[in-house]
Amino acid sequence: MPHHILRFRQLTVRYGATPALSDLTLDIPCGSSTAILGPNGAGKSTLLRAILGWQVLAAGEIRLGDAHPQHALPRLAYLPQRQAVDWDFPITVRGVVEQGRYAVLKLFSRLSADDLRHVERALEELGLTELAERQIRMLSGGQQQRVFLARALAQGADIFLLDEPFAGLDLFACEELTHILRAWEQQGRTVLAAMHDLELARRTFTHGVLLDTTLVASGPIADVLSPANIDRAFRHGHCVHRSQLIPPMPTEGLP
Amino acid sequence: MSLHDLLVAPFDYEFMRRGLLSAAVLSLSGGLLGCILVLRRLALMGDALSHSLLPGIALAWLLFGPSTTALFVGALVAGLLTALGSALLSRLTRVKEDAAFGSLFIVFFGAGIALVSKLPTRLNLTHFLFGNVLGVSATDVGLTAIISGMTVLIFVIFYRAILLETFDPVFHRAIGGHGGVVHFGFLALTVLNLVAALQTMGIVLALGLFLLPAVSAYLWCDHFSRMLVLSVAFALVCAVAGILLSYHAGLASGAAIVLCLGAVFLGSALFSPQYGLLHRIRQFLREKRGVLKFPD
Repeated sequence: MPHHILRFRQLTVRYGATPALSDLTLDIPCGSSTAILGPNGAGKSTLLRAILGWQVLAAGEIRLGDAHPQHALPRLAYLPQRQAVDWDFPITVRGVVEQGRYAVLKLFSRLSADDLRHVERALEELGLTELAERQIRMLSGGQQQRVFLARALAQGADIFLLDEPFAGLDLFACEELTHILRAWEQQGRTVLAAMHDLELARRTFTHGVLLDTTLVASGPIADVLSPANIDRAFRHGHCVHRSQLIPPMPTEGLP
Repeated sequence: MSLHDLLVAPFDYEFMRRGLLSAAVLSLSGGLLGCILVLRRLALMGDALSHSLLPGIALAWLLFGPSTTALFVGALVAGLLTALGSALLSRLTRVKEDAAFGSLFIVFFGAGIALVSKLPTRLNLTHFLFGNVLGVSATDVGLTAIISGMTVLIFVIFYRAILLETFDPVFHRAIGGHGGVVHFGFLALTVLNLVAALQTMGIVLALGLFLLPAVSAYLWCDHFSRMLVLSVAFALVCAVAGILLSYHAGLASGAAIVLCLGAVFLGSALFSPQYGLLHRIRQFLREKRGVLKFPD
């Protein structure tokens, strides 16, 4: 029996009267890489926010292992969307990665030798050692994304929550990120990514969760992204998404 | 005029010593707060906050006369009301924070002007609008020192929380930080320091001592900590230079300090080796030449 690291039971979240997620029951296997997919407003980001404890749950519960996620925050690493970052901020690559250690530091203590080792190891793993003293604007898009992945590593987290990690990356950087996430999955790290590009998800992740404010499908990515499931999740007129997988409607006979 | 006459003689006067002390002490906390204002893009909000202090001062003057403590308290209450009021408005209604601040401060400033027109003596208003070292009393210096010292201490203790909340509030929250506390604490500190700056800098110019050194330092630094230090250094040097300038040229002290800081800002914007205007122009010309030249 596979071990489940995150379990959702009858999870319901509302914004006012509108349900953002309703009655979601779902298990995320330990050490899997899971894409959270669905149309806009399907509750992808809401699910990530609920795990971090930023959403009041109208009903249901979330368990991380045996604990409430709020009691295991250092295990969770959250990656912001690229456009949320001020790239002109006076900070270097090393400065950002060091922030990962702030999560576990006490108020008056300084970064210890052990903290610095964590930072060095994270920089090295993501190939940033040479770039450590650069200001973050002076990096390529892929390198910038890697800085924030390194911060998550330095934190010592084992569950990574990524919000649209591929948004704004060029082809090369996307490929690079795909490689990193696949490697992480092989190392037994649990990755959850909210995203909307179905093809990219199919290539990158082993598992998938398809949402449309309620659970449409979950499991191995190939099963989740079956034409029938996609049709069910995107049936509310989200033609842009459908057109990625379903041939366009025949146009004969139309004026 | 000898160097002694230029730099030392002015401080034979008690009021000049007080003015210098109060400006120098203010520049410590102002330089720090300014960095956060600049990096969080709250520069204009700071400006709005400073204007909203006026009705508090005017009302205190009407009720209690020229008592330093009453003026401090009046200004403080007015500033906190604006900060809290607009924070509540933006969270509970559809109005966004900038519009809430803009609307509230202009109402407060209007109320302040209305009250001032009822004041028995009008002369003193200019002191509060533009600053006057002559008006700095020993109590003022004491209060300023307490507020500034408290600000510096908070920056030292909560350095990491302040850095995280400024750079990446979402991450700060994700690791269990108390972003709301840091944000409101920052607003409260800004109001306190603006109040402290009233006598020396004046309402209209107080923000200059916060903003200008920070934005100058921003043009030179790639490390947050170095930006804080450089900003404080700029503020301190310009505060001293400005007080001397105001003495020799007979200028309002706030204006003189802001002019010195303005010179530093202009110099930084032009000559910063990485982010300055001249560097950008040189870079642009080099690229243009590179395009026109055929590759070897």
